[in-house]
Amino acid sequence: MTTENLHLEGAPFLKEQNRGLYEPAGPKATYEAAVRSTENNREITDAIPYWQDWRNAAEQIKTFAVANLDKLLVQFEQNITARGATVLWAETAEEANRLVLDIARRHNVKTVVKGKSMVSEEMELNHAFQSAGIRAMETDLGEYIVQLAGQRPTHIVTPALHLSAEDVGKLFEEKLGEPFSAEHEHLTNIARRHLREEYLKADMGMSGCNFAVADTGTLAVVENEGNVGLSTSTPPVHVALVGIEKMLPSIDYLPVFLNLLARVGTGQKLTSYTHLIHGATPGKELYVILLDNGRTKILQDPAARKALTCIRCGMCLNVCPVYRRVGGWAYGWVYPGPIGSIITPHLVGLKQAGTLPFASSLCGACSEVCPVKVDISHQLVHLRHRAVNEPSPANSLIDRITWNVWAWAMCGPVRYSLAAWAMRVGMRIIGLVPRSLHVDKLRAWTRGRELPPLSGPAFRTRWMRRRTDRKVAELRKDVCGSCCAACGLAKQKKNESNRP
Amino acid sequence: MTTTSRENILARVRTALQTHPPVERPPAPEVWPSTGPTTEQLVEQFTCELEAVSGELIRCGSMAEARRKLAELAERSDWRTLGAVDCRLCRELAADVPAERITWTHDGWDANEMAELSVGLVAAEMLLADTGTCVVANDTAEQRLMCYLPPACVVVATVEQLVEHMPAGWAEIARRTAQPDRRGEFVLITGPSRTADIEKILILGVHGPKQLVVVLI
Ligand code: SF4
Repeated sequence: MTTENLHLEGAPFLKEQNRGLYEPAGPKATYEAAVRSTENNREITDAIPYWQDWRNAAEQIKTFAVANLDKLLVQFEQNITARGATVLWAETAEEANRLVLDIARRHNVKTVVKGKSMVSEEMELNHAFQSAGIRAMETDLGEYIVQLAGQRPTHIVTPALHLSAEDVGKLFEEKLGEPFSAEHEHLTNIARRHLREEYLKADMGMSGCNFAVADTGTLAVVENEGNVGLSTSTPPVHVALVGIEKMLPSIDYLPVFLNLLARVGTGQKLTSYTHLIHGATPGKELYVILLDNGRTKILQDPAARKALTCIRCGMCLNVCPVYRRVGGWAYGWVYPGPIGSIITPHLVGLKQAGTLPFASSLCGACSEVCPVKVDISHQLVHLRHRAVNEPSPANSLIDRITWNVWAWAMCGPVRYSLAAWAMRVGMRIIGLVPRSLHVDKLRAWTRGRELPPLSGPAFRTRWMRRRTDRKVAELRKDVCGSCCAACGLAKQKKNESNRP
Repeated sequence: MTTTSRENILARVRTALQTHPPVERPPAPEVWPSTGPTTEQLVEQFTCELEAVSGELIRCGSMAEARRKLAELAERSDWRTLGAVDCRLCRELAADVPAERITWTHDGWDANEMAELSVGLVAAEMLLADTGTCVVANDTAEQRLMCYLPPACVVVATVEQLVEHMPAGWAEIARRTAQPDRRGEFVLITGPSRTADIEKILILGVHGPKQLVVVLI
């Protein structure tokens, strides 16, 4: 596996955005799949008269859960421990990795099968396993494909959204030595065959968790493939990775979330398998790792804490015009799309992810579809505000100079015309320089776009000219009492009176 | 080490929550209203929804009929070996299956052996009509695997187990989930294993069973 994409680069969106835009295969597949999901989901949600009621209820419940997070965490810990699980807490991703590796060592684990978990992506757990010499296989088909390709997922629900069947066929041919095929069923069968063996010999299985129910100590995990069922029941040890924001106060609240999540996440009424895991399965070990990794930072910020109510359904990605166009990698970290743009800056810091809040047209489509009503657009604006006032790439020297000049130029007509004139000249000059000589930041823009010189006289000039003409005409009218043929105003009047 | 991490995390959560306005505990939403359908309507809806998610329904008037139909199905699908969860309903249904062709769940059953089975037989606790879902209680790992490992899964249920929708059956599920000595899992099975991970095209049977048959008595 390469590490190429794994660490967030300085200003992810600026760099990666362009890579996405000019690689035809990636974004095209992303675009089509995202549009297809959106349409499916709309059909399903439109058919439900209670949809908005559910959203309101889900929002209230999640807000209540966040407001009582400390109590719920303790209650959950107590209840699931009583059911034979061992609960471990991790402040950071590194600590969580260490805990997982400790468990693996204690149980003499050589191979691991993993169900889909965004938290594990966040921890870069596969790397930790690799360095420890443990073989870890992703079992969700999308994750498996992405893992084989040595890439990172581009979507939080369908990780291989960016790959076409042909890409997958080629990948299987290359990595698994299977004859090429671009047929979906055949490809799926290949994965089934290869992964079967993995389940049966694995020493440890891992899963994420969609909802951790505090009052009963239950882990609710939804899936379609059966891989979570297999990963959590075949090996002798099950480790569940749970972000601390996953708490639900009561089992009574679960139905509304299960109904919402399946419908928005994958456009189904219910996913094929919804597991309610009550603690450790007899004869097996269950470890639950509760991970903070920056979530308490989000909780501290009253304007941001609603982001913790996100149930990772992926819908805001699908509807986002920016995500559709640039794909998941452009966001530089595990959580792409609108939700990524609002949580990544908190989790990895504005210094690294300060450009993300700008990766949006603020059209509000995300806030409108979100099943728990996360106010994504407001949060984007809030983060933009912070990004330009705190150390971040959006607050670099160049940016500051540019915006200061712009602000100065906007504050008076003379300044404005001066700036406009400078711009005209500047554009002319840039037009003369061959593209290959453009500096990096400029090339990022000009690589796929024309930069034509500004055309014609500016609106302001034309407006002034017109006003002068009118004045002259009126003056003449005052002087001679009638209009001469050359006068523009007279011509115009004549035209008007001739009109039927 | 993690005890201090625990304290640190909880302390940070508590500090952060000091600025959180109090939130009243919301009532559990109704989700779907009850319309009180007849049993016949429930069966019809269940059948329709199950078929929509590519499951099959075999409806039988009596246990005897169910046994006969199961035998026919086994013949047709060329099922040689049957694994079954050891419970009353499964025992009754599989009463006619020759002993050498059926294995009942037992402690320490090797997963490799289970993977060789042609079909797994499990019993449902409840059926949800509006989604075509079977609610199955798996107390042990062997029972859980019976749902996922064999390439086909047969779920046996009786008509009395049908409820209108998830909220209608939830009180019972919640009650049993809350029992402190309960282990294993409840799984809500809605159709066979499926994936749409490649180009969002739906394919059945990726890791779990490709075929799901519900025998409704
Ligand atoms: S923010 Fe809302 S729409 Fe986006 S993934 Fe989270 S729950 Fe889904």
